[in-house]
Amino acid sequence: MVKIIQTYGTLACFACLIVFFWVALPDTFMTGRNLMNILQQVSMLAVVAFAMTLVMAMGDFDLSAGSMASLAGIAAAVTFRESHSVTLGITAALVMGLAGGAMNGALVSYVGILPFVATLGTLTIFSGLAFLLADGKTIFGSDIPAGFASFSRGGVPLWSSGDQILLLPNLTIVAALCLLVTWFMLEKLVLGRHLYALGGNAEAARLAGIRVRLLRLSAFTIAGLGAAIAGLMYASRVASANPTQGAGLMLDAIASVFLGMTIARHGEPRVLNTLVGVLILGILNNGLTQLSVDSYIRDILVGTIIIAAVAASSLEKLKRN
Amino acid sequence: MKLARRTILGLATISALALMGGFAAAAEKIAVVTPYLSQPGTQFYVEAFQAKAKEFGWEVNVVDTKGDVAAAISRIEDAANQKVAAIVINVDPSQVTAGLESAKAAGVPVFGMDAGATPLLVTNVTSNGYAMAADTAAYVANRINGRGNVVMFVFDAFPPVQQRGVIADTIFKNNPDIKVLDRVTPDVKDGGIADSRAKMEAILAAHPEKGSISAVWAAWDQPALGALQAIEAAGRGSEGIVITGIDANPEARASIAKGGSFEASMAQDFKAIGSTVAEAVKRHLGGEVIKQSVIYVPTRLITAANVKD
Repeated sequence: MVKIIQTYGTLACFACLIVFFWVALPDTFMTGRNLMNILQQVSMLAVVAFAMTLVMAMGDFDLSAGSMASLAGIAAAVTFRESHSVTLGITAALVMGLAGGAMNGALVSYVGILPFVATLGTLTIFSGLAFLLADGKTIFGSDIPAGFASFSRGGVPLWSSGDQILLLPNLTIVAALCLLVTWFMLEKLVLGRHLYALGGNAEAARLAGIRVRLLRLSAFTIAGLGAAIAGLMYASRVASANPTQGAGLMLDAIASVFLGMTIARHGEPRVLNTLVGVLILGILNNGLTQLSVDSYIRDILVGTIIIAAVAASSLEKLKRN
Repeated sequence: MKLARRTILGLATISALALMGGFAAAAEKIAVVTPYLSQPGTQFYVEAFQAKAKEFGWEVNVVDTKGDVAAAISRIEDAANQKVAAIVINVDPSQVTAGLESAKAAGVPVFGMDAGATPLLVTNVTSNGYAMAADTAAYVANRINGRGNVVMFVFDAFPPVQQRGVIADTIFKNNPDIKVLDRVTPDVKDGGIADSRAKMEAILAAHPEKGSISAVWAAWDQPALGALQAIEAAGRGSEGIVITGIDANPEARASIAKGGSFEASMAQDFKAIGSTVAEAVKRHLGGEVIKQSVIYVPTRLITAANVKD
């Protein structure tokens, strides 16, 4: 019974939020166009948050995710500028993501630095590298191939009437694929079970014969790849690359995972719950903008909601014990 | 019980939102979207815009995405979706094309506040770079009585600065006794002052006689400040070399106020940019077709005479 209530608490709030905006914005919120809009807007955050879920499942953090997203965008843009090849640019960004993620993983599992400290260090390194590669500038205009920039503006037509066409945005499709892959890894593969075992009790996991070091290395490497994919999506959306553009993603991604954790039975990160966290943030941003709420008050509200949701579930735990 | 507590929490949050949101809105809604509100220039535009908007009875929502350009696109999309009367942006339009396209699809007009020109905007209000260069280049030509050697600091890779250089070229060419000694493109990685200083030091060394350099015309303030440092360090500050910059940043103003070689720069009127955008929005909403894709706001030559105003 308690489990059911706990599960439905945050979800009920999520539903309340939707109903509230639906009532407050009767003409513009619950429209196909706006919903697709929100799904497109959250897609980059979603990909970083899914990657973050992998790392947080084993009880770690990846603070470098945002600056890896920036660095990947810059790596792609610089490669575009030099080679005029979309494929090469995307490859460069993904390789950068894998290499950076592996570096995080190696520092954490083979050197034994706390993830918080290791990824704080690599956050600074990736950010510096992004500035260095870009000469501190924004790369835009003819340096970004038109095909790459228009990808984020396109989509798969879902429905059309007259001249109105509803598109399922390409960025949303990419995010959905990332969700599917992450869900499969965490919920269906041994990798996922081991990650949760590690998050539950690292020593027990090691004694149970799980290859802890390799596991953490792989999780961080995949997370780096996820951050790089998000960086590419971001660069496509703004048709440019700037050495700081991914910076805001990291904290929002962690916040989404935390919001999702309040839904889970034992408070563990689950990727579908993370999706709910991402959607809560996305809907708040969209709805509050439409209600003309001051952008700084929006920040205060988002922070308050995160604390309230986590507080509610932690108070319940206290009470149960 | 627990469900009740959660629900109360949810309801409390929602009623707080409702209070802040405010349902009733008869006034025309205008959204201002910028990632750069913390920058001084942007604040001046936005405040002046809000003052005018109040006069016109508009409800203005200023959205600051704090440097996040993708979020600026999202907020433009939200405003378009909400069918606000108009959207004002202060961000490079080529980076927010996705948002501008959805505004276009929704039939919501978008105005640029020192943003850059694109057909997706009704108009863009900014300062005239050509005019600013003409003012300072003419100042130099007149100050040296149309005669002498001039060093130019330019940056042709960046279009807004390139157009300044072209105008100065023309004015100097129009004076048969003015010779452009060097057209220097400084390395701007460190902000432009240090490398401009180094380049100017080399030029000074190559022209050691007094009077062999009459003026330095810089396309923006940083090279002017670098040249000033070089001239003073070389002990040639009293030679009467005339230096001009553009932008009138605080450091340039301080140098001009001192009354040394740095004599003039150009100040943009940020407040007028903000209020002119508001007027353009009003004209458009009133049914007028705005023909100019760029509207220029007058700039002002800053010299020792008016630098303290």
